[in-house]
Amino acid sequence: MGRTLTFKIFRYNPTKDNDQPHIEAYRLEEIPRLNVFSALNMIREQQAPDLMYDFVCRAGICGSCAMMINGRPTLACRTLTSDLPDTIELFPLPFFKLLGDLSVDTGVWFREMGERLESWIHTQKQFDPEAQEERMDNATANKIYESERCIECGCCIAGCATAQVYPDFLGAAGLNRIGRFLFDPRDERGDQEWFELVSTDEGVFGCLGMMACDDVCPKDLPLLEVFAYIRRKVSGMALAK
Amino acid sequence: MTPLDTELYPDAASRHGKTSEAYQIARKALRDEWISGLTGAVLAAFIWFHLLFESSILFGRSVYDRLALLLEHPLPLAHITLIVVGIVFFVHFIWASRKIPGKLRERKKMLELGVSIKQAAGRWEQDTKSDISLRKHFETSLWIWQVRTGMAVLAAGAFHLILITWNVFTDMGIVGQNPGISADIAVSRVASGLWILYAVLMAAVVFHMAIGVYRLLVKWFADTWFVRKYARVFYHFLLWFFLILGTATTIGLAGPWEGILV
Repeated sequence: MGRTLTFKIFRYNPTKDNDQPHIEAYRLEEIPRLNVFSALNMIREQQAPDLMYDFVCRAGICGSCAMMINGRPTLACRTLTSDLPDTIELFPLPFFKLLGDLSVDTGVWFREMGERLESWIHTQKQFDPEAQEERMDNATANKIYESERCIECGCCIAGCATAQVYPDFLGAAGLNRIGRFLFDPRDERGDQEWFELVSTDEGVFGCLGMMACDDVCPKDLPLLEVFAYIRRKVSGMALAK
Repeated sequence: MTPLDTELYPDAASRHGKTSEAYQIARKALRDEWISGLTGAVLAAFIWFHLLFESSILFGRSVYDRLALLLEHPLPLAHITLIVVGIVFFVHFIWASRKIPGKLRERKKMLELGVSIKQAAGRWEQDTKSDISLRKHFETSLWIWQVRTGMAVLAAGAFHLILITWNVFTDMGIVGQNPGISADIAVSRVASGLWILYAVLMAAVVFHMAIGVYRLLVKWFADTWFVRKYARVFYHFLLWFFLILGTATTIGLAGPWEGILV
């Protein structure tokens, strides 16, 4: 006999006149291996056709279904209801612009962050499609790969108390992105350019070291390792002058 | 390196030079971070020695006095330390407090998020076989407690510093007393009721120091062999070792445990 789950879901549609933010409760019979994302699908099919939430992949890859589940930001598709008590509270991620109910716009923030950091390989070399790819040592490739695993779900930003107060702070996702290009030997940006970009209160020194990003990251990225590397790297850049 | 030429993002590779505003801002941010971190590290190291030396009261007044004399003669180590620590104390306050949000509403926002994630541990029912490992998180609350204990240390510590400066450099108006720290003076001070202030100061300073060291280690060395896991173990060690030692010392200076280890 499965449990009867109660989903308390934040409801608010900013495009509707006179709509007030409120909590609505939905009941659902639990089935084996049910995850929160599938539960939301069932609720929408059976009880609340106008329920708004984001999803694409259902497999922890796209990062769309991040939300606050019983008080912490994580991915709905990777959360089994068997890990949760009978009452499950769902809120949209804080920090990001609310589109409606559980749906937030992470895209605009991530695009702006990418542009601010100029997160592309800066190089003078002309691309030669005939040439063999340049070799890179395995350790460097692994470091870049680890940082690239970020799915941009926004959990680290939603869980970061600093980001809530200083909206210009790049946050864990931004610092991780910096690390990705700092590791990359193909990026020809010099020390001074990096220094001006990273050694700021919006950059690596905005981080107060509360470590929530590291604890809530659904992909277990080595965030703190990347930050420590960046800190010492920019300090070295300043000393080298 | 020649400047980059990208049509889409003409500013992409602007090299501003060391005199540029961007470079100066970056230098300042780095300098501020070093000042707050280094002064914190210096004060943490000082507190370790301070609490260890202070605990000599548990071996009796004569051991305490001998140690005090050693730190004051022939070299005025105590006097120099007092002046240096006094300055570092206020520099640390000014630089470290720059990151505390100014508005009550902002601090409330931080607190709410920290509490939400901390309490989430009790609102999930994960077993060890679960597909995803959700780590318990309490460091955001720790930071908030670091701010609170920092305020307590600022108030009680400033008072303590003034009192000790008076003690080290003068006879405090007591006839027959030589200038300098002595067990008689310290015990009479703490036992007369100031133990409440010293107990609060000790607990606040130990908590503040342990969290600060933990965060410093993670911020600067998490990518070395000394990973966060070890830093957290070290945090618990610092916290409990110095809390127990400090409590015993306070009870020692207040009278009951004076010379209990002799």
